[in-house]
Amino acid sequence: MNFLKAACFAAVSALIAVTPVRVVLAQGVDEQMLLHPPLDSWPGYHGDYSGRRHSPLNQITPQNVKNLSLAWAFQTEQLAQIKSSPLLVKGILYFTVPDNIWAVDARSGHQIWHYTYPPNKGLHIGHRGVGMYKGYLFFLSPDAHLVSLNAKDGTVRWEVTVADATKGYWTTMSPLIVGNHVLVGVSGDFDNLSGFIRSIDPETGATQWQWNSTAPPGTPNQSTGGMTWMTGTYDPELNLVYWGTGNPTPVLNGSTRMGDALYTCSIVALNPDSGKLVWAFQPSPHDTHDWDAVETPVLVDGDFHGRRKKMLMQTSRNGYFFVLDRANGKNLLTASYGPVNWALGVDEQGRPIPNPAKEPAPDGRLVAPDEGGLTNYRSPSFDTRNGLFIVDAHPSYSIYFAKPADGTYGWAGADYGVWGKGVIEAIDYQTGKIRWSHELGPESGAGVLTTDSGLTFTGDGHGNFLALDSSDGKTLWHAGSGSRIQSSPITYELDGRQYLLTSSGGVLFAWALPQS
Amino acid sequence: MSFLGSNLHWSVLLAGPLLAGLAVSAAQTTAPAPANTIRSQAYPPELVQSGSALFRQDCSFCHGRDAGGGESGPDLTRSKVVTTDVAGDRIGAVVRSGRPDKGMPRFAYSDQQIASLMAFLHTQQSDALTKKGGRKGVDVSDLQTGNVEAGKQYFDGAGGCATCHSPTGDLAEIASRYQGLELEKQMLYPKHAKAKVTVTLVSGQTITGTLAYLDEFTVGLIDPTAVYRSWRTGDVQYKVDAPVNAHVELFAKYTDADIHNLMAYLQTLRQSPRSGSVP
Repeated sequence: MNFLKAACFAAVSALIAVTPVRVVLAQGVDEQMLLHPPLDSWPGYHGDYSGRRHSPLNQITPQNVKNLSLAWAFQTEQLAQIKSSPLLVKGILYFTVPDNIWAVDARSGHQIWHYTYPPNKGLHIGHRGVGMYKGYLFFLSPDAHLVSLNAKDGTVRWEVTVADATKGYWTTMSPLIVGNHVLVGVSGDFDNLSGFIRSIDPETGATQWQWNSTAPPGTPNQSTGGMTWMTGTYDPELNLVYWGTGNPTPVLNGSTRMGDALYTCSIVALNPDSGKLVWAFQPSPHDTHDWDAVETPVLVDGDFHGRRKKMLMQTSRNGYFFVLDRANGKNLLTASYGPVNWALGVDEQGRPIPNPAKEPAPDGRLVAPDEGGLTNYRSPSFDTRNGLFIVDAHPSYSIYFAKPADGTYGWAGADYGVWGKGVIEAIDYQTGKIRWSHELGPESGAGVLTTDSGLTFTGDGHGNFLALDSSDGKTLWHAGSGSRIQSSPITYELDGRQYLLTSSGGVLFAWALPQS
Repeated sequence: MSFLGSNLHWSVLLAGPLLAGLAVSAAQTTAPAPANTIRSQAYPPELVQSGSALFRQDCSFCHGRDAGGGESGPDLTRSKVVTTDVAGDRIGAVVRSGRPDKGMPRFAYSDQQIASLMAFLHTQQSDALTKKGGRKGVDVSDLQTGNVEAGKQYFDGAGGCATCHSPTGDLAEIASRYQGLELEKQMLYPKHAKAKVTVTLVSGQTITGTLAYLDEFTVGLIDPTAVYRSWRTGDVQYKVDAPVNAHVELFAKYTDADIHNLMAYLQTLRQSPRSGSVP
């Protein structure tokens, strides 16, 4: 890239933007930034509200990506693996592992501040990052508290309890900021608890509304569960927030919760100002395999078989790819994207029909995919250039057991993975057919990012960061990272230079083309 | 990290709690204690409690809060690592090294933390083993629904098992080596089966060995002299011979009845009772 040209462009952009932006950005993130993230920012978990993780940046191209080299690395010096997506606001990256937030200079990778949450007994399985509103960060703790901090120095503004950790709740997700709402979700399927989405006032920490995915525990013949542990997406035109809910409880034994178990394993559309449910679609009715439908609900506007549609797409953990009309939740397409053997077919609403013979049983049932699912929390990407939904898939088989002695509380059974592998799959969203696939080895890899220059960034099951050609999946660049990759890459432009940001183990890596 | 060093600490660290626990047991001999609490009383309740809290924080997601298995992690109440652990030697090693090949991260626990984890896991295991029901897990008796004759037919016929395996050869007495769930998992996919690889260099020389590493950029093998060698995949030609893939191809073909019948048949392949080693 011509540096002078880039510098001039940056300077002109700065001049154009200087008056309106300086006033607002002095405080950090504002509504306009979340609606239209500038190229030098990544202000929310998914970057923008769509969940597409498709960047317009095109300095790194299929032709020059082979020259990509390390700009800097940041070592957390911790064993906890980075599973978060960093935010980038005003040249500063904010990212997390459980109990920890770092603010790091995005130009150099040096630490600005480090916040540590006090020792607590919450579940420390992972952390997906912070949310930001004005100059404030919002961080969920393992013991299900929401902490608001000042982004400039990491000092705590306030802390509120989101859920009772002693009952079995914990929190890991990156809050979604919509208007003046901090939207948070919870985890906790080892106990028969109700999942919920709560809207919290960013200034005071007060609850604005709460939407419960299931009835209160103890309601006869009703399912509990429906945890809300992944960040949703938002359509400002329809003013709807889209969120996935998790599995019902008891998890593997469905005998006490006959029927569909609404709203577990569902994609729900809520009004962010009132918390009212507008529509719901259920990828896994009466789930008995722990297949949360929390995977990113990706929002795409475009052609669907000749008609322009506002669509929502999800590669669900249960092995099916869904395309919905996101104005009303009506199904447009349901197609499996790997080995799936638990459904008898698809019903008239587009939902897979669970085969009772594949419910967990005392002598075991061979089920595809495994409990981790055909994909999981690592982000997919929608490549608008090629019309491809690109996902880190995990073809797999497992055996599921449940017997009366396992009871009807919490897990209520046992399951064992038998075999699996990792594959990046590029799905044609109009047909559900796999256009290309790229083998990753015996394990799942990383999340996916695509760019308008025609690149797909991800990682394999051995810890290699990969750049693939988005048109055919061929490898164009790689770098061994030395650990497993548990996160999704992001990209941004600073000082006219495009950076790719990846992580593996406890290390953050920034990549860029060499400067001439 | 030196595990020898840690082990030395163990004996010192654990002698106290163990002796204290035994003293408690002795003092309570008049009380009608159920058999399943004997081992748990060997550890001070506060040690078990802190182990439980630590387990809940860092381990329970995968292994379940009661250590009986959760998302992706095995049931530790039936784990050989826990059964054969002495004073934290095996638990400590696994926790501090992790199991990167199985996705388990490592944890930098102090000796005191390992001691508490060990106390918790041993307590959970002894409680679980003596419980009559109300617990999850798969018993050998759960896996007896198949038909031996149908299993033998599948083995010799549709399953194609006999192409590679023989009940009097590699599978002779297989059911004496593995039982129950462990046997079934081995049957479905023997995770530790080795693949062979033959690498052809530009010179035309070929090297055949045990496949040790393969990604799309590097191929590594252990050669016949037990030495590790590797090449860039772009510089050589290589051919992997992995008979274990036949197991993967069967997944889409099996019915659950096929699996249960095969299990019934494999469970007949054991040492005769006279030799006395059948559990």
